[in-house]
Amino acid sequence: MIVFHVEQMIEDLGHVFAGSFESFEALKAECEGMTFDGALIDIDLTDGRTGPLAAEWLHRRGIPSMFLTGQADVASGYGHVSLGTLSKPVGMDKLAEALELFRRKPGPDPHD
Amino acid sequence: MSDPELDDVSALDHVLVLAPYRSDAMFLSKMLREYDLRVVVTSGINDLVACLSEAPGVLLLTHEALTPAVLDAIAAHLADQQAWSEMPIVVLLDRGSPDGRIKAALSHAWPRSRQLFYKRPITAVELVSGVQSALLARLRQRDVRDHIFREIELRRELNHRVKNILASVTSIFEMTRRGATSMDGLAEDFRGRLGALDKVHSAVFRADGEVVSIGEIVSLTFDPYRQVGFERIAAGGPTVILSREAGTTLALCLHELSTNAIKYGALSRPEGQVAFEWSVSENEPRELSMTWLESGGPPVEEPSRAGYGTRYLRSALKGMLGRAPNITFDRGGLRCEAGGLLSRVVGNP
Repeated sequence: MIVFHVEQMIEDLGHVFAGSFESFEALKAECEGMTFDGALIDIDLTDGRTGPLAAEWLHRRGIPSMFLTGQADVASGYGHVSLGTLSKPVGMDKLAEALELFRRKPGPDPHD
Repeated sequence: MSDPELDDVSALDHVLVLAPYRSDAMFLSKMLREYDLRVVVTSGINDLVACLSEAPGVLLLTHEALTPAVLDAIAAHLADQQAWSEMPIVVLLDRGSPDGRIKAALSHAWPRSRQLFYKRPITAVELVSGVQSALLARLRQRDVRDHIFREIELRRELNHRVKNILASVTSIFEMTRRGATSMDGLAEDFRGRLGALDKVHSAVFRADGEVVSIGEIVSLTFDPYRQVGFERIAAGGPTVILSREAGTTLALCLHELSTNAIKYGALSRPEGQVAFEWSVSENEPRELSMTWLESGGPPVEEPSRAGYGTRYLRSALKGMLGRAPNITFDRGGLRCEAGGLLSRVVGNP
């Protein structure tokens, strides 16, 4: 339901919703071949506290991400692999800012 | 958690013996080992800190070991203990020693320890039963520690769940508000969707795990309608246990399909019918397929713009199954087909 809401808001803001995954495992297995400019990631996914691992994994591939979570305290420890944190539930304005960040900021250098 | 029996020595921690005289150390460790207790021996201050860091269950000291340096090292170790810990310490005093004064001094030097005193010479039975009861006390302390850790973990999980539920409710409200044309309509749709969320939550709780079966979701969704006369919903399929997340998504989808059918679809006519069927393929990788089929209702026309329900079904079923559902507005009735890998949605009780 939360994903659906975010999806609708993303599309209302004129962006394209590329897809969603419930686990880090599913992301790794299924995102090959997908193109997307950024990712919103919760801290706890269905395979455990793997959100930070997912952010780091995308970071290494040059794809920026932000945490979308109720656990901002945990997310704050991973500033080096993400652009920041959105608190759940997120409103249109905050989401719009985040998506603008993805648009403006090219992904982090995968070699850094 | 059951209390270990006294003869179940394998569950007990080891005993750290601190005895400066080699003959004492050998005598004590032999005595304890004969009763299958695990023993580590140290002769003095040198490796005491390292030995304490290996978390012995009980510390056994002879009178000669009580030097100021040893007292300080043990005091430092006790000060570093976690809140649950009260280290048991057994002290073997010499006959004729001023035990009142020694006990007072040690109780002052070693707060948060559980001290036990014996006078030498001591029988094996006496010493071993004292050490064993100290080890059991230590084991109970560890149980307390485990309870504390579990409670911390539960509180963290509870906070996470509450946040998630509030976010879900916010999302449901926002999405319902968008499609609403009247205040009453908003209230009714919102109540219905929250009700579906509530029912699936109760079913997961009843299952005493993080799972719920498709059959249960079917009954909790359709039974209220059947009770008020909608007996034209036929549902069937094999036993499939879903994870909490997948079960919640399916419950919300079936809620959308049912309310849509009652308002506009097959169930808006007395002769209309709904069939919801699901199956699992025999071959690996096993796939779950689900079909919702309406018939006998008013002629269906594809809406010019997809409503909340349709958009939600597409998004939620794709997220749940990894594959977009096939929703067709057949003239004879709405049809929704969804499928994907069973491994994505299956729950482990």
